[in-house]
Amino acid sequence: MSTSAPRSVDSSLISRRTVLGAAALTPIAAFLAACSSTGSSGTASAKLTGQLNIYTWPDYFSDKDLAAYAKKYGVTPKISTYTDNNTLFTKLNSAAGAGYDIVVPSSSWIKQISDKGLLEELDLDRFNLKNLDQSLLNRNYDPHNKYSIPKDWGLLGVVYDPDAVGGEIKTWQDFFDAGAKSGASGRIRMTSAAEETVGPALWVQGKDWNTKKIADIQGTEDFLTTFAKHVKTFSAFDPNALKSGAIVMAQANQAAARNAILLNPKLKWVVPGPTSELWVDSFSIAKGAPDVERAYEFLKYQLTPTVQVNETVYLGYPASLNGLRDKLPSNVKESDLIFGGPDVDFDKLTSFIVNPDTYPTFQDIQNKVQAAAGA
Amino acid sequence: MRRTGDHVLAAIPLAWLAVLFLVPLGFTLVYSFGTSGFGTVQLGFSLDNYIQALGPLYLETFLRTLGFAVGSSLLCLVLAYPIAYAIARRSGRFKVVAFALILLPYLASLLIRVMSWQILLAQGGPLEKILRAIGVLHSPITILDSLPAVIIGTIAVYLPIAIIALAVVLDRIPPEVVEASQDLGASPTATFWTVIFPLSRPGIATAALLTAVPMLGELVIPVLLGGNKGLFLSQAISTQYVQSQNYALGSAMVVLLVLAVAVIVALLVRLTRGFEGTAG
Repeated sequence: MSTSAPRSVDSSLISRRTVLGAAALTPIAAFLAACSSTGSSGTASAKLTGQLNIYTWPDYFSDKDLAAYAKKYGVTPKISTYTDNNTLFTKLNSAAGAGYDIVVPSSSWIKQISDKGLLEELDLDRFNLKNLDQSLLNRNYDPHNKYSIPKDWGLLGVVYDPDAVGGEIKTWQDFFDAGAKSGASGRIRMTSAAEETVGPALWVQGKDWNTKKIADIQGTEDFLTTFAKHVKTFSAFDPNALKSGAIVMAQANQAAARNAILLNPKLKWVVPGPTSELWVDSFSIAKGAPDVERAYEFLKYQLTPTVQVNETVYLGYPASLNGLRDKLPSNVKESDLIFGGPDVDFDKLTSFIVNPDTYPTFQDIQNKVQAAAGA
Repeated sequence: MRRTGDHVLAAIPLAWLAVLFLVPLGFTLVYSFGTSGFGTVQLGFSLDNYIQALGPLYLETFLRTLGFAVGSSLLCLVLAYPIAYAIARRSGRFKVVAFALILLPYLASLLIRVMSWQILLAQGGPLEKILRAIGVLHSPITILDSLPAVIIGTIAVYLPIAIIALAVVLDRIPPEVVEASQDLGASPTATFWTVIFPLSRPGIATAALLTAVPMLGELVIPVLLGGNKGLFLSQAISTQYVQSQNYALGSAMVVLLVLAVAVIVALLVRLTRGFEGTAG
């Protein structure tokens, strides 16, 4: 997924995600203590005997599942949050990063974080990986899942008002062409993740966003800084802006798009060609985790089918459970959109991998694009 | 004995300040001359980071941010002065209530206050509805995600600070001085410009300091109300530290920002020079 967190900055989930994200520590421990003591007072399992330190995206676990876990195992998950992978990396890479058991890095950063020796190698025999969607395993960012187990996944796509943009968007070229026309110009939202700005411009040229050629990346600068004047915002995705018409075309992940479409059914969602992003947020165990056993216990709990279904309904992002689509409750609205539509082909998608040699160039272009947009 | 006690008492906060401010600043200074890897710094002596920080993109960003901070601070002062004057010299027994009302917004976090403006200024939001209802506006409001929205939010956030800083000083101007001016035949306008305004210089300087300096480092408001466009210095620094993992360049930009703040403080000290002992 992207560094900028299509979900972390999604104000589509503002009530339970972005606002909570402002807090460095979520006082879930107190909440859970209250839940479990009222739920099963007097039983041995209700006594919270330990602590599990989870460093994750804001509001990225259902409170119900956390409370059920606390009740079952007598362990209080203590949640700390970050709003982008860069922050996770920075913290784990510093003395302040000690003490976490579980972290939830995205596919884009797993290689970088594990290369720095900041993640424990996983003992895969302790998981039932056959339960998981096999197409999410053994991917290029973590061959053989040495350091990560997929939690949930998302796509980079476009949600748009076909009337305002003057037709259907099928490719990233369509996105840029429509954005420059009067119907959409000045009413576009792009993400603040550098690779999600530069990536589409590279894809339009038939190039790979994991290229090692800095010249290729720099080659998008003029085009993007020229296009920048059409962009209204690089801030959080706001479904209400798509409802009101303040934004008519937005880069978004499928969960954010679904929220907007639930508010305004005339909006359309597309994963543009020739390719787009698949990000996979993953469970990892931090190097030197205070309680590795508990970490495994928590991961096994999170990977149970019932919990995975609950988490999907709660988050709006598909968990990694195999055959999940058929297991969702029938009352989930626009459930197809949770999976990015009926016919998303993972083979046509690409996952970004942060490369220290090229990543600063992506950021440099992003800075210039944002500066140009406000000029 | 008492002097020794005083020194001990002063040493504690000084040590606190040294540990929490000077030591990190020292690290930042050392890092700024180093060479950055991805999330690491190779110590040494290189001016490359400063050359890059003063390159076209970041110099322009710095100047834009400086212009924004100075302009917004001035606007804050202009709006705050009459309010502070009314509170300090006209509110009588309601002075405490007035101070309390001014400080009321600080009961909510900055993020909540700024997000409230986001809702207020949004297309189809409350402001648009009110303006349409009274017939002032006939088309959708498009101010959100623009520089004017950033300025509106900034003024809203910093205005109370400016008001308090000014009101405290205006409140301390002795009534006798004003009466003497009037007894000597000065009109109310002349009294204001020749007596009250000069005596309120420390309040102006303090208000300018307390608004312009944090505005130079403002991060939240441009992101939430400005659509994260038109790069501000704090965003550029944050990007270097967090996104690009280039601590050395980020540090050089911080050092330059601290120097700019030092220049602003020096100018404000000069503004109030010779004032000591004239008020209060």
